[in-house]
Amino acid sequence: MTTTRQTAGPDARTRIQAVPLRHPGRWVGAGVLGFLAIFLLQGWVANPRMEWKVVGEYLFSPAVLTGLGTTLLLTVLAMVVGVAGGIVLAVLRMSPNPLLSALSGFYIWIFRGVPLLVQLLFWYFLSAVVPTIGLGVPWGPTFVEFDTNMIITQLTAAVLGLGLHEAAYMGEIVRAGITSVDPGQTEAAHALGLTRFQTLRKIILPQAMRVIIPPTGNQVVSMLKTTSLVFAIAVPELLTSIQGIYSRNFQQVALLTVACFWYLVATTVLNAGQHYIERKFSR
Amino acid sequence: MKTLIRAEGVYKRYGTVDVLKGIDLEVAEGEVLAVIGPSGSGKSTFLRCVNHLERIDAGRLYFRERLIGYEEREGKVYELPDKAIAAQRVDIGMVFQRFNLFPHMTALENIMTAPIMVKKEPKAEVRERAHALLTRVGLADKANSRPDQLSGGQQQRVAIARALAMRPGLMLFDEPTSALDPELVGEVLDVMRDLVKEDGMTMIIVTHEMGFAREVCDTIVFMDDGVVVESGPPGAVLGEPRHERTRAFLSKVL
Repeated sequence: MTTTRQTAGPDARTRIQAVPLRHPGRWVGAGVLGFLAIFLLQGWVANPRMEWKVVGEYLFSPAVLTGLGTTLLLTVLAMVVGVAGGIVLAVLRMSPNPLLSALSGFYIWIFRGVPLLVQLLFWYFLSAVVPTIGLGVPWGPTFVEFDTNMIITQLTAAVLGLGLHEAAYMGEIVRAGITSVDPGQTEAAHALGLTRFQTLRKIILPQAMRVIIPPTGNQVVSMLKTTSLVFAIAVPELLTSIQGIYSRNFQQVALLTVACFWYLVATTVLNAGQHYIERKFSR
Repeated sequence: MKTLIRAEGVYKRYGTVDVLKGIDLEVAEGEVLAVIGPSGSGKSTFLRCVNHLERIDAGRLYFRERLIGYEEREGKVYELPDKAIAAQRVDIGMVFQRFNLFPHMTALENIMTAPIMVKKEPKAEVRERAHALLTRVGLADKANSRPDQLSGGQQQRVAIARALAMRPGLMLFDEPTSALDPELVGEVLDVMRDLVKEDGMTMIIVTHEMGFAREVCDTIVFMDDGVVVESGPPGAVLGEPRHERTRAFLSKVL
């Protein structure tokens, strides 16, 4: 009988034992890059004017850590405003009501069109044109009234500026997510008697998450770094604290190295978190 | 017999294309109606009009003597708000060609969602009923499977159970076996046959399964080019078609 069963893998006589293709270019390239890296690193690390002692001194100093805390707080608050606002904007944009849809389009046009730094300054200086904010009947009596400077503190100005700007971008991201869900899902939900709002909340948004989460992760990482812009309105976040210190001791590069360190630590943690969440939602 | 669905001159147009050009038909309670016809004849569109997934442009379409999607008061027709339309759909179950199960939920959750969210029924009771329905469609062991872990035939059976969980008075089937591999068609037809035999469910079925239509249905409606060409008992329409268009269609599919 001839054997037709070959459980032991391919026939040994025809097995290919090729000599692997060599890649000399890679080795040369690696060598050149390695040399350059060592050269630059040595120039930075061993630079006598680079005060590593100062870096070590301030790396864990209370002022820097408090600044880092404020940076993280700003990131979280701004993203909460951004995501919530983005969902509202996306839903309004896709509303059958033309007025709501146009309103959302107008918002996105304004808040994506004006530079963030300008928006931050705008919120900060709001009290100059609107000294008080009150609740009441327009052109009629006012029930409660606040000093604008009391409500729009530096921190609220920063959260409003960052969050409302972010909402415009998140709106487009959420809309892309919602459009990615098969229209058959909406039909099936409607056919079961779910209202438009129930369908959105229980059927469409959970499925849209797969498309919404990865770019949102990017937005969080980006937001963490963008918070440094609020140094312009003197919110005591990481960069502002760092600037405060080097304006006294003139160790700019050393202190900026401290800032780089903490920004990199935070983005690395966020990247890991994003990777984990993406894996969870891609199922 | 009580009339469940009454269509009078139902008219639907997409842009410049007239998809339905005046459909008249009635479905009595307990009746099983098959709608057959070539693709593009408007049969699926008509089915979708019955639960207002499509809005009609002219004519009248009644479910239990109430207009579908509209309200008529003193000779004027008013659009119904979203909530009222949703409430009308509660009594009409629909099964789609592409199943449209919710992929982020298990089979059991797919069945339980609408009774809990729409009818606000107690969860424990709904769970019990969902398990019973899964058993009925032969998928008792698949309660915790997600749609992508099920075959097409299994998904369609879950979709039927999902519609039945709302205890509808009317079931609409939009080519329920057209997206299935041939060997899986039978298991879905078995479930539908059981619905007719055991529950006496009123059903409108858009289908290409002529053998099934002949066996199960009381009435067959042949549609072509947006109109009902002929209708009657299966023996008459399939056996001795009176119209040339019906004969031409049947010669291609039988």
